Amino acid sequence: MAQNETKHNPRTIDIDKNIVSNIDNGIVVLDTSLSIYHYNRWLELHTNLKEENLLNKKIYDVFPDIKIKTLERKIKTALRMQTPTFYTASTSNYLIPIKINQLTSSRFEYMQQDISIIPFDQEKDLVALILTDQTNMANTHALLKANILKIKELNSALLKERDTIDKRVLLIKISPHGMIKEVSQALLNLLKYDKEELYTVNFFAFERVHIDETLKKNILKAMNNLESYSFEQKTLTKCGKELWLKNRLVPEYDTKNEHIGFIFFRENITDTKIAAMHNDKLLSNSRSAAMGEMISMIAHQWRQPLSLINTIIATMKVKKELDLLSDETMTTSFGKIESTVKFLSETIDDFRDYFKPNKVITNVNLYKLFTKSISFLQEEMTQMDIEYSLEIDSDANIQTYKNELLQTIINVLKNSIDAFNENAIDNQLIQISFKKYDTHISLTIKDNAGGIDSDILKRVFEPYFSTKSKNGTGLGLYMCKTIINEHLNGKITITSLNSETTTLIELPYSIKKRN
Amino acid sequence: MKTYELTEDERDVLQELMNVAYGSASAVVADMLEAFASLSIPKINVMEVSKLLETFAELKGSSYFFSTQVFSGEFNGESAFFINEESAKNLAKHLELENDEDLDDAILELTNVLTSTLTTKLAGEMETAVSFSLPSISKVALDEIGDVETFKQYSQVIVINTELNFKDQQINGKIFILTKDESIQWLKTKLNTILEQLI
Repeated sequence: MAQNETKHNPRTIDIDKNIVSNIDNGIVVLDTSLSIYHYNRWLELHTNLKEENLLNKKIYDVFPDIKIKTLERKIKTALRMQTPTFYTASTSNYLIPIKINQLTSSRFEYMQQDISIIPFDQEKDLVALILTDQTNMANTHALLKANILKIKELNSALLKERDTIDKRVLLIKISPHGMIKEVSQALLNLLKYDKEELYTVNFFAFERVHIDETLKKNILKAMNNLESYSFEQKTLTKCGKELWLKNRLVPEYDTKNEHIGFIFFRENITDTKIAAMHNDKLLSNSRSAAMGEMISMIAHQWRQPLSLINTIIATMKVKKELDLLSDETMTTSFGKIESTVKFLSETIDDFRDYFKPNKVITNVNLYKLFTKSISFLQEEMTQMDIEYSLEIDSDANIQTYKNELLQTIINVLKNSIDAFNENAIDNQLIQISFKKYDTHISLTIKDNAGGIDSDILKRVFEPYFSTKSKNGTGLGLYMCKTIINEHLNGKITITSLNSETTTLIELPYSIKKRN
Repeated sequence: MKTYELTEDERDVLQELMNVAYGSASAVVADMLEAFASLSIPKINVMEVSKLLETFAELKGSSYFFSTQVFSGEFNGESAFFINEESAKNLAKHLELENDEDLDDAILELTNVLTSTLTTKLAGEMETAVSFSLPSISKVALDEIGDVETFKQYSQVIVINTELNFKDQQINGKIFILTKDESIQWLKTKLNTILEQLI
């Protein structure tokens, strides 16, 4: 028993020595000159060095990387203050180089160490250096730092994005019940409202004037079904300026995919709307102008046959008074009148046919088309003594809208005739020619009616631009350009040189049906 | 929280003890820095942490190094040391340091020396012992200091404004000794014992 008691008496166990050799820390005892007094088992195992070979050696001879000055200072301070001094892994990484065996997921080649320098023996000026492995902690720390940096970067990118959206995108966010909860700065700027004036206001109350009952019903239906919905609306800014907005309503969800309201993405389409309305008006004006042109052309065509009828009737009247009107003369005269009236009627039919916009693309023979257009103007040209030449292959065909091309050609020819009317020119001539290319054909209409000044030439395709002294609507060439560019997929250009004006029309061999 | 506030008498005694402790500490610091350095007479204040955070707002300067060290024992808490970048650079110049890591290490050493000497001496005056754990360092922007969560766990703080004067350069630092309520309770008892002995 007595032996057992002795065995269990704590004082008989060499605690210090046992702990020093079994503890999971490195312990090395040094004096102020950095000589090694003790090197524990943990360090022996980790550095593969034996204590017996190290005793009385200088630590910096064993580990040449150690900064002597710093270590001396720390030891001196510890002894002087009689409190520990430290190396920390976060700043010093390690004191004694120990290669890490663990290969997976370590950022470090050497064990990261926290070291406490503890005053150990004041008389002999000894300190104990206690090494703690902080590699795992340092790894976690480094990982955390990298992640924090990443989050910071992502966050600043996100904030920047958010700022851009706020400044550039027109949007309103509303709660599921329709209360306005966010309005982008861009939209506030457009509507000239302050945040406070719109927040917590009901969206439909705010827009009540501009969203009618039917539209509201449709929007509410989309909201109920959590569907997106697009619509256009008019609205007024705070100063009463009218705006056209295109809205796209989409449901809004939070990060957990819970429905938290709706977003209206808006687009200011005021300019487009105004341009479209302007265009519509222009188009209808152009149609009236074309109608006027047609009537004036009909009038020209009718003048000669009408005077013929007039002459026949006058002749018959005279013959009747002189009693010279025979049945034979009457039959001949009526026959002439009949055929002339038929011609008049045909003229109207012709014009009506050709001035109706085509719905179908047909095969158009360009030679026939030019012959037709000249026939509409024949009377006027003969009266004014205008000659023409037509150099088009009789088999020149393209697939296009026939009447629209005819209108354009008549318009260009009419412009030449009008120019001859304004300028006195000898040998008045209109030359029409044709060329084939790989992808398209070209038609050239050239007159020698005096040319166009370059200042005017720049503006001939503008709507309402006219130099004609009377009856000029300024819509002729504008219509031509619209037709050629937008309907016939072609190009029209006008050049002028040496008192000659050349109109060049380029057209593809075939076009697709327009919507 | 009234019970954890220090009375005027208690405050006076603490201030006196701090002065004594600081005197002994300064000799060690000079020794460590191997310089003809002197420490100015410190300005010592005891205040609540909430007030301390307010004073941070008044500190100007681009950025500060901020290091802390926990101390344990009957009297326990955390000591913090602030040193602005310019002062830290001066310190680096004085110690002939080569890189930023060495500078961090030197600041930690200075923190350790200043706070542990102070706390040890203070504890010694109050007849108790303290032990220290490793100091840690971080560089924080001043406007983020209010977010340092650990600060909010403390109630009273002893603020020591110190200045290290070298022949040709100055190093300015602030030491804060942060204590928790239990520790304040212990501190009050101790201070009152000392007060009674004085009378």
